[in-house]
Amino acid sequence: MRLKQKAKLRQWVMGLVSVVLVLSLSACGGSNGGNSSPNSSQPSNTSDTPPASTENEEEYLPEPGAKLTVWESQEQVEYMEKIAAEFEKQYGVPVKLEVVAGGDQGTRLATDGPSKLAADVLTMPHDQIAQAVKAGLLLPNDLFEDETRAVMEDSAIKAVSYDGVLYGYPKSVETYAMYYNKDIFPEAPKTWDEIISFAETYTDTKQNKYAIMWEFVGYYTYPFVSTLGGYFFGNDNTDLTDIGLNNEGAVQGFELLKSLKKILPMNAGDVSYDVKTQLFQEGKLALNIDGPWSIAAFKDKVNFGVAPLPAMSNGEVSHSFSGVKAYFVNSYTEYPIASRLFSNFAANKENQLLNYQMTGAIPANKEAGEDPTIKNDPIISGFFEQFSHSTPMPTIGEINAVWDPLQAAFRTIWDDPKADVKTTLDTMVDTIKTSISSK
Amino acid sequence: MQRKTISTTLSVLFMGLGQLYNRQWMKGILFLATGLAAIYLSSVIGLSSYLKGLITLGEQPSGLVKVGKITKMVEGDHSIFLMIKGLMAALSLLLVGVIYALNIRDAYKVGKERDAGIAPNNFRQSLQLINQKNFAYLVLALPTVTVLFLTILPLIFSILLAFTNYADPILPPANLIDWVGFSNFVKLVSLKVWSNTFFGVLLWTVIWAILATATTYIGGILIAVLIQQPRIRFKMFWRTVMIIPFAIPSMISLLVMRNMFNNKFGPVNEIMRWIGFDGIPWLTDPIWARVTLVLVNMWIGIPVTMILAIGVLTTIPRDLYEAADVDGANSFQKFRSITMPMVLFSTAPILIMQFAGNINNFNVVYLMTDGNPVNSNYQYAGHTDLLVTWLYKLALNQSQYSFASVIGIIIFLIIATLSIISYRRTRSYKEEDMIA
Repeated sequence: MRLKQKAKLRQWVMGLVSVVLVLSLSACGGSNGGNSSPNSSQPSNTSDTPPASTENEEEYLPEPGAKLTVWESQEQVEYMEKIAAEFEKQYGVPVKLEVVAGGDQGTRLATDGPSKLAADVLTMPHDQIAQAVKAGLLLPNDLFEDETRAVMEDSAIKAVSYDGVLYGYPKSVETYAMYYNKDIFPEAPKTWDEIISFAETYTDTKQNKYAIMWEFVGYYTYPFVSTLGGYFFGNDNTDLTDIGLNNEGAVQGFELLKSLKKILPMNAGDVSYDVKTQLFQEGKLALNIDGPWSIAAFKDKVNFGVAPLPAMSNGEVSHSFSGVKAYFVNSYTEYPIASRLFSNFAANKENQLLNYQMTGAIPANKEAGEDPTIKNDPIISGFFEQFSHSTPMPTIGEINAVWDPLQAAFRTIWDDPKADVKTTLDTMVDTIKTSISSK
Repeated sequence: MQRKTISTTLSVLFMGLGQLYNRQWMKGILFLATGLAAIYLSSVIGLSSYLKGLITLGEQPSGLVKVGKITKMVEGDHSIFLMIKGLMAALSLLLVGVIYALNIRDAYKVGKERDAGIAPNNFRQSLQLINQKNFAYLVLALPTVTVLFLTILPLIFSILLAFTNYADPILPPANLIDWVGFSNFVKLVSLKVWSNTFFGVLLWTVIWAILATATTYIGGILIAVLIQQPRIRFKMFWRTVMIIPFAIPSMISLLVMRNMFNNKFGPVNEIMRWIGFDGIPWLTDPIWARVTLVLVNMWIGIPVTMILAIGVLTTIPRDLYEAADVDGANSFQKFRSITMPMVLFSTAPILIMQFAGNINNFNVVYLMTDGNPVNSNYQYAGHTDLLVTWLYKLALNQSQYSFASVIGIIIFLIIATLSIISYRRTRSYKEEDMIA
């Protein structure tokens, strides 16, 4: 995580440097000075330029001479190479792959997109699209909109849309669920009560044995907010005036959270990802709330299964946050049609299944999710089940005002036994409100 | 009319004319060509539109237009690119201006010489003159231009950002950025959400810089003096052991430290509990987190001062100590009156550098605590965030580029002032030749 952020910083600096360099080159080459051309073609009056024939859907073919560049992260390069080769066979458009780490693609697009250095098609986690859309860096998924809406999971569609416009071509989904050690549990516990009573016999701080752990950040706290009726923003996370983080449901959820301190007696800051992973590998941690990205770390080390998160007092399975990875088309692409065709092709059912087989990614395609290979995979099906109880992370930019205060409130409630849940949550909501209004 | 007046006037009118009047053909033609090239290039490239772009920062943002079923991108102005291009144009103009001024000065000087009856140099003589007298300038010309565009320009660019409204949600190219003057600075101190965080973080930054510098400096010198004591054995071993933390990339060692100081599972607390103490909340309590940072920083920072001090110690003449022995001084007196002044004298400038470096000590904070523990009263900052890590969070996590730039400027001002003032006060600045 830190390494990734560090790399992001370097990426950003490199981006800036390359912008300066490219500009100095283009300035020497005598390109016309930026603001002369667009005045002649204002957005409003270009609508009459294209020929009427484009109305026909069947006519959308790749631009003649089109060749595409695609950004893909290292883990998925092999899989992408296959898709690229297949796409070239079917459409005659060569595809070049460039390796760019998943989390960096959005940041690089911001600088490289307008300077025409970015890939035509890239992959982003859905919570990064708000910035890219606000900066006008992505082309909407218009050509295949109906098709995409029909075949993909609804929450995946919602996740890759912004302001009601569909931008992405969903590729895979991810959410966290509960890893359980099969040597300790023949069957995964279903409710928090079960876990608490189990912990009373199991937890032993002297020997570092713990019943359950999860990383103490806002992302993993969400089940306590949402399952009993709390929410981030009203109206599907779009109404900024309505913050549901201190309503009755949220308070109940945090009260439950507070009561869990007795089975996990430590300060919030001490549960780090490394610690948690190691304890689970050593068999000292019975339950571990984590995402599919950790499967590799546990395989061959622990006899584990994956189950949905435990239910709360109202009997409902806890709601998690989910993330959706999708292909996006760079709005500065030279070949917009070919890029759309490629994105749609790469996100189709067969390719999502191929992605699952090669990298273990959970498909966003409904039919692919029903496929027997996935149905029979106990680990993936556990995540898929939790996914049906999940909400996509909000895409609005104001979400950034929530994470830190939420984490602060969460840790205060956890660490300080005297802290009152309701007052702490009220302070948090005040902080979020001022922070949003100051932007 | 005097020749110097005529030649100067002509050169003011157009580059090279004065030189031609002075019958310096080759030089005149070179200047003339430069002038014409400058005018030609600036009209071809559209220098004025670049400069205009720097002022307006664009008039038409990029936008998406729906044509039938397909959405198209209509490219507009990109404020950030316009800003950089404008800066490049301005700097090029500055370069031409310098050449222009040189041309006038040259015309004036040669004209004056002719008035006094001295024949102007021919081209070969001029070249020889350059070779003899102005060779340094000639050699420096190319690096200067490079520095101007690759060092100065990005600096000016990042400073200028502080005077714009470039912050989420005003992101180019879909939005145009505007100049907003000093309003970001005003906001930073007047708006409570910002000022609260700013002054809190600033205070901790200063305290941190003082603590971090003082502890590593004193610690380093003490260890160096100890190791250099004649009675200490295995000097090589001690030196090597102390230097090792510096040799490992801090990126790795800090991440390891972070786990070592984990309250519950870290070996540090485990050992403490084993001895019989309660563990300390090293990284989760605001005060202890700060203490931990200072401690860990000592571990990394002491080797540097130690090596420096060892170097200085070896240069102190032995007879000073012998004389002190004769006078009956004890070890502390020798340390106070001989060792310390000599070491301080040689390392004071480094001390200031370390202080400035500690204000910007990104690595330690970012990798050890990442600004945590969180502070619910702060805007995007935690208890241990320094100005520089706050800046990083603002720019990279929150896209608040203009505020980040404001903070960058403030950090620069603090460091520059402190460094200049304290450097001028050191004895090594005042008495450059004390040792010699």
